Amino acid sequence: MKTYLSVCRKEMLLLVRDKAGLAMLFIMPVVLVVISSLMQESGWGELSKDPTVPLLFVNNDHDTLGTQILNGFMQSGSFEVIDSLDGKPLSDSSAREAVRKGAYTIAVVIPKGATSTLLANVRLAVAKTLAGFGMGDAALLQSLTLRDSVNVTIYFDPAVKRTFKNAVVGSVRENYYKFQGEWVFRSFNREMARQMPLYQPPKEFFSEALRFREEYPSYREVEVIPNSTQHNVPAWTIFAMFFIVIPLTQSLIQEREGGSLFRLLTMPVSYMTLLMGKVGVYLVVCLIQTVAMLAAGIWLLPLVGLPKLVLGNDLAAMLAMTLVVAMAAVGYGMMIGTISRTHQQAAAFGSISIIILAAMGGLWVPIYLMPSFMRSVSAISPLNWAIKGYYDIFLRGGGLAQIAPQVIKLLLFFISSVAVTAIYHSVKKPMNN
Amino acid sequence: MPEQPIIGIRELTKIYKGSEEAAVNGISLDIYPNEIFGLLGPNGAGKTTTISILCGFLQATRGQVTIDGHDIRTDLDRIKQIIGIVPQDIALYPTLTGRENLAFFGNMYGLYGKVLHEKIDHYLAEFGLDKHANRTIGKYSGGMKRRVNLIAGLLHDPKIIFLDEPTVGIDVQSRVVILNYLKEINRKGVTIIYTSHYMEEAENLCSRVAIIDRGNIIALGNPRELVRANPEFKNLENIFLHLTGKEMRD
Repeated sequence: MKTYLSVCRKEMLLLVRDKAGLAMLFIMPVVLVVISSLMQESGWGELSKDPTVPLLFVNNDHDTLGTQILNGFMQSGSFEVIDSLDGKPLSDSSAREAVRKGAYTIAVVIPKGATSTLLANVRLAVAKTLAGFGMGDAALLQSLTLRDSVNVTIYFDPAVKRTFKNAVVGSVRENYYKFQGEWVFRSFNREMARQMPLYQPPKEFFSEALRFREEYPSYREVEVIPNSTQHNVPAWTIFAMFFIVIPLTQSLIQEREGGSLFRLLTMPVSYMTLLMGKVGVYLVVCLIQTVAMLAAGIWLLPLVGLPKLVLGNDLAAMLAMTLVVAMAAVGYGMMIGTISRTHQQAAAFGSISIIILAAMGGLWVPIYLMPSFMRSVSAISPLNWAIKGYYDIFLRGGGLAQIAPQVIKLLLFFISSVAVTAIYHSVKKPMNN
Repeated sequence: MPEQPIIGIRELTKIYKGSEEAAVNGISLDIYPNEIFGLLGPNGAGKTTTISILCGFLQATRGQVTIDGHDIRTDLDRIKQIIGIVPQDIALYPTLTGRENLAFFGNMYGLYGKVLHEKIDHYLAEFGLDKHANRTIGKYSGGMKRRVNLIAGLLHDPKIIFLDEPTVGIDVQSRVVILNYLKEINRKGVTIIYTSHYMEEAENLCSRVAIIDRGNIIALGNPRELVRANPEFKNLENIFLHLTGKEMRD
């Protein structure tokens, strides 16, 4: 035990004196979590009070439909609606040009006469329907002709994502149908009242009949709203923990190349004791990283206008999850450090593999946005198991029972990494090749 | 010469994976207690490989080694307790101080507390490093690093000490301090196995030398007797050049 503690003390001293390494372990992840959360916040829809996407709006209709679509955009909270540039009202061509130059990403043009076209077509449809019931007004039917569809033009910058395009088109469509529905209803009532004097039209309009209730199902009674903080803090904490692969492999290879390992292996101490000393210290580093990241989520992110991190209500589950993620990260670093022959090999393979595993695991892009092939591949990334576990705790109010599958997978990953390290070392000692 | 060797080597062979040539080619040798035994040879002769096998870092392909009566294949843990190693590289941690390095390596030999600190203080003073004990190794000169490298192998009072080119690339003063100390501990009963490229140094220091080339022992004996037996070569260096040739080695 004394030998083990001495190895730990030595590792701790080496780590504390490596200022660049410390910055990479503790400052970089905090900076990353702040930047990523700020960048992704609008994507998670939490900054709705502060519209962030400018939208050029050309209302050539100057009537009810144009106004209703305009109001729809303004009330959505997601757009900053602009109807003039440089003091001049926008036209179809100036809006198109602004998007073409890349100054704006979206422009919506409501054509002239959109309202009157829609109303005329509604009136014709109502008249034809009533005629089918023998209530037709021949003179009215004669006077109405079907007009061409209303063509709303939307200009998009080529870089705009499909999901965002869908949101814009959806907003236009929703307001159009709402308006059309209202007018169909009104036309029917008016015609019915005209032809049947005893008819009493209903006072309430049916459009309010459908309402939405949003809920995030959780294991317990916790009110956690998914936002960039709830995603980014665990995601970057996991990334930071796995990034200790770099200092850990450097430490292993430096010891080997500098000759200290040669000296140590001729002393009455086993290679596993030396390795476990590193494991102990780097586990503590991971735990400190987690505390720092959680603290940043709770106190630092709100200072820059981001939502405060809401911890789950199961401290034991969070501790267990953090411990197994740390073990998996340290085990992976140990394995890479033992197998790699040079600093360059370890640094390149270590960092690139972590980036790939992070991307694959859904740390940067949510898994549901990935194609189906990638979704199945992501299941083999330990970083995916880690983020799933943290989501269970942070977003679904999960406890030990809910995170158990991820804990078991990460533990098995750690055990496998240690086994590979030990086997590789015994088969292929540093100079035995 | 006592009858019982402290190190017995029989038909020792080491062939690295992927190599057709043996780095050590079936050498047999006895080293007796209290000797200063020099392993001399050009680059790639097999000196470091032999020492690495003797201290348990490498496994031999064939052959047998006994150290102080213990078989290296079965009793390595016991052997590790009685041997000290001074590697060719400065096998120290550059960001730890001299004292921290020595404390750590002392701990690995099971030394702790007052005993360890007294030993560290003693050796630091002995090698003129007491004033620099709390500076990091990275700030030491080459000679100072070599001296700490040596102390790290002596802290646990080993019965046998292996030194792989302990004086390479250092100033004359540090070399004199190191060699004098080696003579002193040898007088106290420590067996020293030493490799070097410096023939004059080996001639003055060693009680016996083995000249190794291409994994084979090509000369063995007391350096002065070797010179006496070959008067035409005048010194050990000339004998060495005669036996190993003048072409440069990688």
